Amino acid sequence: MSCRSLAAAFACLIVVPVTGALAHAVCGNRVFPATLTLDDPGVADELSLPTVQYSPIAGGGSVTSYGFEWDKTITPTIGIGIAGGYVVQHAPGANAQGWDNLAATLKGQVLCDENHEFMISVGIERDVNNTGSGQLRRYDAIENISTTTPAIYFGKGFGDLPIGWARAFAVTGVIGYEISDRPARGPNQVDYAMSLQYSLPYFNQHVRAIGLPAFFAHLVPTIEIAMSTPDRGGTATGTISPGVFYEAATWQAGAEAMIPINHTTRQTQGTGFIVQFHLFLDDLLPNSLGRPLFR
Amino acid sequence: MRKILPAAIFLTLSAHAWAHAFLDHATPAVGATVTAPAEVAIWFTEQPEPAFSAIEVTDAAGNRVDDGATHQDRANPRVLRVAVKKLPPGTYKVTWRVVSVDTHSTSGDYSFTVAP
Repeated sequence: MSCRSLAAAFACLIVVPVTGALAHAVCGNRVFPATLTLDDPGVADELSLPTVQYSPIAGGGSVTSYGFEWDKTITPTIGIGIAGGYVVQHAPGANAQGWDNLAATLKGQVLCDENHEFMISVGIERDVNNTGSGQLRRYDAIENISTTTPAIYFGKGFGDLPIGWARAFAVTGVIGYEISDRPARGPNQVDYAMSLQYSLPYFNQHVRAIGLPAFFAHLVPTIEIAMSTPDRGGTATGTISPGVFYEAATWQAGAEAMIPINHTTRQTQGTGFIVQFHLFLDDLLPNSLGRPLFR
Repeated sequence: MRKILPAAIFLTLSAHAWAHAFLDHATPAVGATVTAPAEVAIWFTEQPEPAFSAIEVTDAAGNRVDDGATHQDRANPRVLRVAVKKLPPGTYKVTWRVVSVDTHSTSGDYSFTVAP
């Protein structure tokens, strides 16, 4: 990763997601929503369009990205994804806009224990430099070095707890090792993230029907933490993102604040937000684009 | 292409779309305490395929208390029903596994209590 200026450091921090594929996942009673700053533990046919992310830059200016991601299943448990976006940076002496680099992901689900709502997947993501805007690269607003990130993802719903109200909780997480093509310029780093979710749909469907108004019965309040730490030492940076998802049958919408988690992060960015509209292609187009290529 | 994409998405969402079938609501209601019911009925968010869908009701000891004949409601194809034996007071677990008409398979469970 090459982040020489404040603006570039900010862009490197927030524009590139912790991991690429953001998909929803179903395991037993549990539906894990497609979280915004980390990948969920599932593999599915989905389209995120758009993902709008805005953050002010410390010292003035802002970066806004308009992202997309398409995930396609090859088999029911193996999928690929491609992600990109358009980036607009307003910064003193560094106004720039253009296409972000592309990222490709290969991911496989290795476990779904339905009784315990427990999932594990493994994946690898390749962020390819030189596929985005030359102007953005000249300003270091997007990465100049390609990276490869093997990662492991997990999800655990707490439906097996004996306490009724607590059964609607779930956690997901990911840990990946980001390997730089040129570690002398951009160090390798550890990326790690978690989400804590409270699913009102789960509560309504599996714990107690309390007659929530229809709108609230679709909500999943969530808090996400996404961090990165250089492996040569140095301070971790990251964000904490409280927000909420609305889960419909064929789509979801999510919105979260993105708050710098520590002083080091605040040196490059202020509090911003991320919103996303997400389509479940396996539900929308189950007989064509939304089904695995091979069953 | 970018200009027409939002319109295409809107049209896709406006058209009928199938999806995973999840429980919408049920009688007895999820987590409810009731007098002994004669049947369990579940309203799903999508239409299940009755040939590949079933509801089971078990008592606290795990014994089946339904009649094993899950059937689709004639008036509302999104509803599955199964009759149960005369239930003494206690807590019962309802387990459902359905295949929606677009072949997505889903499952779930919940409990209800029959009051003394």
